[in-house]
Amino acid sequence: MELTTPGVATLRRDPDQRALGDAETADAALAASGDGRAFERLYRAHVARVHSLVRRMVGPDHADDIAQDVFVRAWTKLATFRGEAAFGTWLHRLAVNVILARRTTIGTERSRYDDSADILDGVAGRPAAPELSMDFEEAIGRLPDGARQVFVLHDVEGYRHEEIADMLGIVAGTSKSQLHHARMALRRHLER
Amino acid sequence: MNDQWTERLSEYLDGELAPAEQTALEAHLPSCDACRTTLDELRRVVTNARALDDRPPAADLWPAVAGRIGLSARARTRPAVRRFSFTVPQLAAASVVLALVSGGGAWLLGRRGTVPKRSDFVSRSTAGLLNASAYPGDARFAAQVADLERAIAQPGRLDTATVRVIARNLRIIDRAIRSAQSALAADPGNSYLNLHLAQEMRRKLELLRQAATLAGARS
Repeated sequence: MELTTPGVATLRRDPDQRALGDAETADAALAASGDGRAFERLYRAHVARVHSLVRRMVGPDHADDIAQDVFVRAWTKLATFRGEAAFGTWLHRLAVNVILARRTTIGTERSRYDDSADILDGVAGRPAAPELSMDFEEAIGRLPDGARQVFVLHDVEGYRHEEIADMLGIVAGTSKSQLHHARMALRRHLER
Repeated sequence: MNDQWTERLSEYLDGELAPAEQTALEAHLPSCDACRTTLDELRRVVTNARALDDRPPAADLWPAVAGRIGLSARARTRPAVRRFSFTVPQLAAASVVLALVSGGGAWLLGRRGTVPKRSDFVSRSTAGLLNASAYPGDARFAAQVADLERAIAQPGRLDTATVRVIARNLRIIDRAIRSAQSALAADPGNSYLNLHLAQEMRRKLELLRQAATLAGARS
C-alpha cells in the first residue's frame, strides 16, 4: 500500500510481494479446500501483522484472543476470497472488521469518539528527560480509544478518512479531528 | 501556540485543504515559527507511524487457532484432499493394476512404436482431469501424471461423483501450480516458491495415485 503525503516520504508496504502473493493465493485456494498446512503457512506469514494491528487498535490485553478470532474467521470465510486482491489485503480488512465488532465486548463504545481533551493532554505531557521518553507504540496505546483507532487506521494502516468514517460509524470530519489530536499528542513522544 | 491554522495543519499535511486554504497557509508559514515547528513534528509522527515494525505475539497462537477450527494433528499435517481410505486387499489389487497399466503401456509402445492416442484411454467423464501438457518444463512429472491419468481413465472405473471430487481437487492443485509457476517466472531464484511448486506437484501426483488406486480397487 502506498500513500503520498505532502512532505512525507512514500512508504509502506510489502514491496515486491507479487510473486509471494501468487503463492499465497494458491495457499488460500488449498486452505479453502480444507488443507490445514496451507492455512498454517498463511497464518505464519501474516500473524505478526494481524497481531500488531489488533494490539494497536485495542491494546495488549485482548490482542491474543482477537488475533485468534481473526484467523478463525478467515478460515470460515476463505471461500469468499476470490484472489481479486492480495490475500494480505483481504485478511487485513477482515481483521479490521473483527476488531471493530469486538470493540463492544471490550468496552470500547461509540461515545468514546467524543474528543477527550483531558486524556489527550495526559498523553501529550512532554517527558521531563529523554530517559523518561515513552516508547512510540506505548504512547499510541495510551491514546483514547477513538483517537487511537483513527490514528492506527489512517497513519499506520493507510485507510482514508471516508473509509474510516464508514468503518467506525462516524463522520469524516470527526475522523480528521481525532487524527489531528492524536498526532498533536504523539509529537511529544518523538525521539530526539 | 494556537493560531487559526493550528487545527488545520494535519489536513495540510495530508493534502486535504482546499486550494485557497492551502495557498493561505503556505503564505502564513514563513512568518510563523510555531506553525512550522508543529508541522515538522506532525510530519515526523506520520513518518514514525508508517515505520512501525510488526511484531508477532509472544506465544504462538497457531495451536489454539488450529484447535478452534477443528484441525486435528492429522489434518494439520496432511492435506484435506486425501479423502480416500483403502483396505489392504484394495491396495494390493491397486498395485497390481498399476503395474499392469505401466507394463501395458510399455508393451504397447514397443509393439506399435507410437504413443497411444489419449482417446484410447480417456472416458468422457474424466477428460477434464487431463492436463499433463501444462507442465512442458518437467517431462518426468508430465509423464507420471499422464500414466496415472490413463490408469484412472478407464470407463466405468470411477463413478461420476468420485470423478467430480477428484476433478475439483485437481483444479485447485493445478491453480496452485500455475500460480507458483507464474510467480517463479518473475522470480526464478525464490526458494520458497520453488519449494511450494514442488509441494504442489507432489500433491498432484499423490492425489492421482490415490485415484488410480481407487479405480483399480473398483475394477
